[in-house]
Amino acid sequence: MSSEPIERRVSYLGDRLRGRRCQICGKEYFELRNYCGNCGRKSFGKMEDIDFFYEKGRLELCTLINEPTNKFTKLGSYIYGIVSFHNGKIRVPGRLTDKIIKDAEAIDFSSMEGKEVVPRFRRRYSVDRSEIIPTISLAFTFADEYYPHQEYHPAKPNKEYDVPGIVGYGVYTSRFRIREGSMERAVPFIDEDAITAAVEAGKLALIHSGVDSTLIGKVYVGSESNPYAVKPIASKVAQVLKLGEEDEDVQGVDAVDTEFACKAATSMFKDAASLVNYPKIGASYAMVIGTDNSQAAPRDCPGGELDFFVGYGGCAYIFGKTDVIAELEGWYSCTSDTPDFWRRDGEPYPMHGGRFTGDPAYFKHIRKAARRLMEKLGLKPSDINYFVAHQPNVAFPVRIAKELGFKEEQYTPSLQVAKFGNTYSGSSPVGLAAVLDVAKPNERILIVSYGSGAGSDAYSFITTSQIVEKRQRQKMTVKYQAENPFLEYVDYNTYRRLKHGM
Amino acid sequence: MGSRPVVVAAGRTKFGEHYEKQPERLIEEAWLKASGEAGLERKDLEACYLSDYFLPITNKLGLEEGFLSELTELHVPMDVVRSFSSAFSNACNAIQAGKYNLVLVGGIEKMTDRWDKIRDDLMLLEDPWSYYAGCTPEANHELMFRAYVKRYGITGESLEKLNIALAQVSVKNHLNALKNEYAQFQRKITVEQVLEARKAARRPLGLYDFAPISDGAAVVILASEDVAKKLTDKPIYVLGSASATDYLTYPAREDLTGFVVSRLAMEKALKIAGINLWEIQVLELYDQSTVMEMISLEDLGFCPHGTAWKTVYESCQDYKGYYRIGEKKLFVNMNGGLKADGNPLGATGGAQIYEVFKQLRGEAGARQIVDDKPLRYGCVLELEGFGTKGHVHIFGVEGA
Repeated sequence: MSSEPIERRVSYLGDRLRGRRCQICGKEYFELRNYCGNCGRKSFGKMEDIDFFYEKGRLELCTLINEPTNKFTKLGSYIYGIVSFHNGKIRVPGRLTDKIIKDAEAIDFSSMEGKEVVPRFRRRYSVDRSEIIPTISLAFTFADEYYPHQEYHPAKPNKEYDVPGIVGYGVYTSRFRIREGSMERAVPFIDEDAITAAVEAGKLALIHSGVDSTLIGKVYVGSESNPYAVKPIASKVAQVLKLGEEDEDVQGVDAVDTEFACKAATSMFKDAASLVNYPKIGASYAMVIGTDNSQAAPRDCPGGELDFFVGYGGCAYIFGKTDVIAELEGWYSCTSDTPDFWRRDGEPYPMHGGRFTGDPAYFKHIRKAARRLMEKLGLKPSDINYFVAHQPNVAFPVRIAKELGFKEEQYTPSLQVAKFGNTYSGSSPVGLAAVLDVAKPNERILIVSYGSGAGSDAYSFITTSQIVEKRQRQKMTVKYQAENPFLEYVDYNTYRRLKHGM
Repeated sequence: MGSRPVVVAAGRTKFGEHYEKQPERLIEEAWLKASGEAGLERKDLEACYLSDYFLPITNKLGLEEGFLSELTELHVPMDVVRSFSSAFSNACNAIQAGKYNLVLVGGIEKMTDRWDKIRDDLMLLEDPWSYYAGCTPEANHELMFRAYVKRYGITGESLEKLNIALAQVSVKNHLNALKNEYAQFQRKITVEQVLEARKAARRPLGLYDFAPISDGAAVVILASEDVAKKLTDKPIYVLGSASATDYLTYPAREDLTGFVVSRLAMEKALKIAGINLWEIQVLELYDQSTVMEMISLEDLGFCPHGTAWKTVYESCQDYKGYYRIGEKKLFVNMNGGLKADGNPLGATGGAQIYEVFKQLRGEAGARQIVDDKPLRYGCVLELEGFGTKGHVHIFGVEGA
């Protein structure tokens, strides 16, 4: 049983942790209070909106929950407690997430109490498969662990560019991994999914870009693991991240989900760039997110071969014409009706065409898109500093890179599949982010995505001098997440359970 | 002008698991016991005040008044509220206002009819936001324990003693319940068992620190002074009755180491009753957890803040049936408290009042308080949610 109107109100407040502050006495409320309890009638109209979404809190008190209420049973055991913000002006209930508590583990509450925590946007609890998925940010992780606290400072742009390009980006993967052979893959915590990764990636992109979120005119979210068949991820992203101007409880932003297997996000790079290039009143910025809790059938089932490769994560890019870190030089896309990988409506896991997914699918489309773009721009492989390809496994991107004439130093920096697994819509975007994390000004990057079904998008970016200065704003780099000391490795059964979610 | 309300009779069922009984049967049983004692007939009742938290959820009974009307074949005014204390206060007010001279106050809960979902219901009732964040009905008690320990800097040997004191609360309540034929648990437990259960749970509190989920019903018959005189020669007067409210969300409250509602309700009730705190001899506390019993001793003013655990610890070294606070004796939760007597929410307050009523009348049987001083004053504290509402009732014998 659920109530959609209640869900709307709870998630509206709880996803963003909205509150109000009395401008007369400074008292704060976790709730949209119209007047202050201290000041009474004279405070009407003097309550300002606040929220704690980018804030750091403190875990004041905590205890263990190992017999949760029914809707929380899939979380197993977890730490629950009281979190304060603004030096105790606000106290809220909260649970710690991203923590697997083992059965015999002794818990020392006093070692956790007093530590700083960051609110995390997560699924709230389990509901029936037919119901609206409840979300909340009353889930927290320690600020000095995997996910660092980062402030968000919208900044006035310094420089205008003639050509649109990437203004900022963010990559998010979870702190859990499964390690098999030389391959590590990101595993979502049980309360994560493609929606939560999209929000996290978007949040990190805002932090990195310094773009005022109210100036974002459109958000595209590409995914093939949206937990809904009908209901966009993009609307959740728009509301939680407050994209576009907020008018009452509606955001002045266009938001849309796109679907084309693993190129659902990269396809929209050119649309976003075009949109911000529109000369009249339009969008100053557009956000493109690729996000997936990449799905695969269990190993012993049809389609189970994918289970060795699937990862989890999201990647967001903000396009605009101010303070650009990488200009979009050109693009080429190609498409054919090639049935190499698909998921029928209502089916939980995708199927694929075995060896057919190689030459006639992946290689053919990437080869064409890359060659045509290089022809169009008059480029040789040696003119390109970095090559980024879609990464369903380790072998494919290496093979196509070599075939196109790229050397190891050109394609290796982008290879992330052995660290995060195939993040589907986020795959080549994460590769691009890894390159942007290290690229110097005035370098050329060629990225070629691949989406089954099938098609490829090739883009050429040229980095600007601003790439270096903006880098300092982001702690959550690709390397930071790949080599983090707080990574936790799980076994196969745990991986399947976490991936399946609440 | 109206009169002081008088309790003339009280009845209750055994608390526990009554799978075989419909809720109406339980309230009937309690009513028959109470009315039989006072020689009352149904038709003598002028109104009924009924309390339950969850019957519309547990038993899909929306219009409880209708069931009661059918059961009693009465057509008098009836009202349903949440807690027994609320029903009781309403009834007291009506009698004081001179509106009625004889009313029934009944409380009923049938929690085991929804045993698999009742903890979610309890938590949602307590506070939806805490529920959304993952709270359980037990967690806030444990957080209050943590807050208490930190605020008063209790560590080392003191912390050990505090932990033992809380275990003793439970042991003492189980001991008291041995003499209560209506109690859910009539079995002795040891401090070691309580501590073991905490260890097994890996939490500050364990199985034996918490009141159970129960079914049960309780009934109290209230009368005006004039009518009471005709019905009984051992009237128990309601001298003062007060309540107070607080936020739903425990973390948002100013003080995390106590319940402001208990303090406010007690202050007001004492003022109305015109007695001082230390005249109270028998006290029924709302021990949903052992922490709640300890904290309530402080909230009500019997122990200075941060010290109740010492009182409990020292009193229980050679437990004589009461807490020793300085030179005073305080008889607490003689029926076994919520821990051992049971906690069918809507009826719990009724069982608390029942106990004080029986003790003050000297009719408590095997568990009758024996003291050099005759019993004159008793007090009941009932809480709703996690200290979101608090009720205090002060009772006295004739001439008190």
